[in-house]
Amino acid sequence: MTAEEKKIVLRGRKVVGGIAAGEALVSKEPLMGWLNVKAEKGYTTERNHPLCGVPFKGKILVFPTPRGSGGFVGYGRTVNFGTNPAAFVYTKGNNLTVFAAMNANIPTVTDLDQDPVQVIETGDYVIVNGDAGTVEVIKKEQN
Amino acid sequence: MYLTDEEKRILDGEQGEIARRCMEFLVAYGEAAGAEKLIDIDGTVDVHPGADWVPQYAVTVDEVRELAAKGEKFKVPTFSNKPVAPGFIIDGWEACGLPRNSDPEFHRKNLEALQPYMEMGMVPLFSCNDYLVSSFLPLVGQHCAWVESSAIPWVNAILGARSNFDGCFHTAYLGKAPAYDMHLDENRRATVLVRCETELKTDMDYDLFGWAVGEAVDIEVPALVGIGKPNYSQLVKMNSSLNTGGQVRMYHIPGITPEAPTVEAAFGGNKPREIVITREDLRRVYDKLNYAGKTEVDFVYLGCPHYNIQDVYRAATLLDGKKVKTKLWIMTNPSSYQVAVRMGLRDIIEKAGGILMSGTCPGALLETPEMQVMATDAAKQNYYLTGMFYPEKLDVWYGSMEDCINAAVTGKWSGEWR
Repeated sequence: MTAEEKKIVLRGRKVVGGIAAGEALVSKEPLMGWLNVKAEKGYTTERNHPLCGVPFKGKILVFPTPRGSGGFVGYGRTVNFGTNPAAFVYTKGNNLTVFAAMNANIPTVTDLDQDPVQVIETGDYVIVNGDAGTVEVIKKEQN
Repeated sequence: MYLTDEEKRILDGEQGEIARRCMEFLVAYGEAAGAEKLIDIDGTVDVHPGADWVPQYAVTVDEVRELAAKGEKFKVPTFSNKPVAPGFIIDGWEACGLPRNSDPEFHRKNLEALQPYMEMGMVPLFSCNDYLVSSFLPLVGQHCAWVESSAIPWVNAILGARSNFDGCFHTAYLGKAPAYDMHLDENRRATVLVRCETELKTDMDYDLFGWAVGEAVDIEVPALVGIGKPNYSQLVKMNSSLNTGGQVRMYHIPGITPEAPTVEAAFGGNKPREIVITREDLRRVYDKLNYAGKTEVDFVYLGCPHYNIQDVYRAATLLDGKKVKTKLWIMTNPSSYQVAVRMGLRDIIEKAGGILMSGTCPGALLETPEMQVMATDAAKQNYYLTGMFYPEKLDVWYGSMEDCINAAVTGKWSGEWR
């Protein structure tokens, strides 16, 4: 670890096991599914959303909550098109997020001891351990 | 997760391969959701027929056909929400102008595919608000497994029954669901008090209010005060927006909804945080939903959620003796469609040049008639359709039923904030 980096560990609950690492893509706003997610492209199409049209393929997708329809599973169906994130990390969910995670079958952690949307920023390097329910965050210094 | 001996035996395949797979799904889902056990459904199940939540555990139409042929039934009363895989028009498809949907063969095949589910007991109401016409509803405290944005807060908040968004073949066939979230007392109590400081009068007011609250509270359980006495049309709209603008699966209206005789009861010991919704908040949502450039309108869509019979009656009354310049679809549930035919409302709408339809919506069909600019009175449909068209830009106007019918008759949008 270099002097510019510091590591934070968040502890929570496993939704789907496995380990994934990569760059975080953080949505400060809740994510909406159904017609506002394009699984084949791997991005949200919600107008007004800061991440509208921003691909999440291979990223650690961090978001606060789901909103809207049960069509939220579209975030998980990205796996059928190879456009899926590497992992999901979210603040608070329900069966919408659980079904999306089960569809994608990628490491997924929630109910963490700190709010991941507050702690993690887009571009941070994140290691998600679904089995242990932990999220390691290596911050990039904002210069 | 704890399983009873009977549940373990189902998981071991004692009741056949499909029951085993359904149990495997419920166990995997329950563990991912953090449930400690399964609960027996003593209310009802509501499904999008043919749609599987998690394809790894899918039960195919052919498998359902085999079960039906053996005389197998759903374990609990099961109702069909709108079909989504694929969505199709139940009534009024003949003149819709969509190539696939105006093909009688497409219509016949889709209905045929649903036949085995009906043989197993699924009641074919085919509507996003089938709860308005089901003639059989769960009572307070009964455990259910439902689907659909407006239906989830309806079952939890209005009926006081208990449901997550997990109605499907599996929950209906086994009559069980993971016991977590909305099934448990502690997750149903209010955590945020929403004080409405503007008088809500029109259907649009309730639609916008629901959206504003949804955005403000996300997945929390609000207690709503100062919202007046909404009628059924307004309540359905508010529920749809609460669970589209946010993820409000449960709320209380102290003095009206069954689990909240008082504000104190709604919170059940939780410490209330308070937020205020004003006319300005409604205006902000209205502006968000109104972003069309051109005032020429060529498609008007009404009926999201599906219009109830009073809505159809009001729309037909506004159209009586007029001629529309745009395409006009008025969508209701198949049950109310029959009532509207008997009442002569379909004739009035058709004479005006519109189409009365049932059982779906452009979002569920994944298509609209050819158009450049559309108008609708539904925040939910408005917000999702633009996502469906992305990156192509779709112009959509949003306003009241009256604004939309006026646009259909004149071909121009003249709705204004009031």
